[in-house]
Amino acid sequence: MIDQLVTIDPVAIAIPAFVALIIIELLAVRLGWHGDYDWRDTGTSLVMGLGSTIAGAVVGGAVAGIAIFVWQHRLFDVPLTWWSLALCFVLDDLGYYVFHRSAHRVRWFWASHVIHHSSQHYNLSTALRQTWTGAFSLGFIFRLPLLLIGFPPALVIFCGGVNLIYQFWIHTELVGRMPRWFEAVMNTPSHHRAHHGINPRYLDRNFAGVFIIWDRMFGTFEAERADDPPRYGIIRNLATFNPLWVAVHEWLGIARDLAGARSLKAAWAAIAAPPGTLSGETADMLRASWQADAGVAAPARNQAGAAVPAE
Amino acid sequence: MLVFSLIGVALLIGLARLLGFARRGGLVDAGLAERLAVDALPGFRPCDVAVSRDGAGALVAGRDGRVALVRPLGDRFVVRPLAHPLVARAGAVLRVRPDEMMFPETALDLGEGAASLWAARL
Repeated sequence: MIDQLVTIDPVAIAIPAFVALIIIELLAVRLGWHGDYDWRDTGTSLVMGLGSTIAGAVVGGAVAGIAIFVWQHRLFDVPLTWWSLALCFVLDDLGYYVFHRSAHRVRWFWASHVIHHSSQHYNLSTALRQTWTGAFSLGFIFRLPLLLIGFPPALVIFCGGVNLIYQFWIHTELVGRMPRWFEAVMNTPSHHRAHHGINPRYLDRNFAGVFIIWDRMFGTFEAERADDPPRYGIIRNLATFNPLWVAVHEWLGIARDLAGARSLKAAWAAIAAPPGTLSGETADMLRASWQADAGVAAPARNQAGAAVPAE
Repeated sequence: MLVFSLIGVALLIGLARLLGFARRGGLVDAGLAERLAVDALPGFRPCDVAVSRDGAGALVAGRDGRVALVRPLGDRFVVRPLAHPLVARAGAVLRVRPDEMMFPETALDLGEGAASLWAARL
């Protein structure tokens, strides 16, 4: 049964549901529920999503070839069972956390991931605003360890698809807070709204895919606050809806900074340092500046990385 | 499959427009321009602002000498600190373009005196 399950492409099955949920959200917002749309922004998001699918199909064979090559050199033979499905799903989500954190902290990966953050809106169409250059940025390498361990490629792909589907519904302002236990364990609309916020408080926080526990464990969790509602987008919001520019703007920024680099160190910073390093606007710098301006003390963090309220 | 996807995308965009999600952000409020600049630029403290009479954008000067351009994009706004912008004045209209690819020129109708003043400032 598991053998048959993992041959399913869950994302392909979910696409009609994605469309239906976007229509429901559009109507709900029109009727006065919390949220917002702009047809131009939605258009860009959907075209980015469609382009991402096409790009994935174009380079999918090459990525699959690499994946199979790695799996052929696996350390163990992990069987296809319910327990391996569950284990693979959890480990894949941990891998997603590492990927996502890297995608915000390393400009090379950010050049691909920034597309997803380039909307100033936060709705279900934003979930579909995906990169066209994911394979070029080598983002798939974060899934290779699972194959090296020995999880079958079909299982890894299946778990990745389910992870992606889960992340769709959290891109909404319609849902306020989920039950407390759910907010404690799972990534939710509230946690992910904070992730998309460019308020200094929220920069480079909440990298989770499905389980928010990774952020709580590794000290990157930040709760959404009613007194500091997230402002969505990127530090320098794009001045156009042109999908091609959305897709390549950061890559061109890297090329420009590389061309102007006067040393190997500067060239390395242009490629691999945190985004904003060369302009003095990294997430850490902006947060420190905000804390200094507002007289906000950096929150103490306990051993688990969770923010500890001041006495 | 691609054709169906394209039709689906077009229908969703059309539905969003049909439902009225097609506002254009006009910038007629100096306070809003200042707030947007403060939100976008760390440490920015506005001391002067000039808003285009047609809502096409605004210039906000900071106490530290920086000047920010604020202009609408769809129903939102974009802000840029102006370093080495291209500036041209024709009477009451000041045309400003940041030194950045794909950032469109913004024509600000500031009035003759203000346009002259801000042109000198940039």
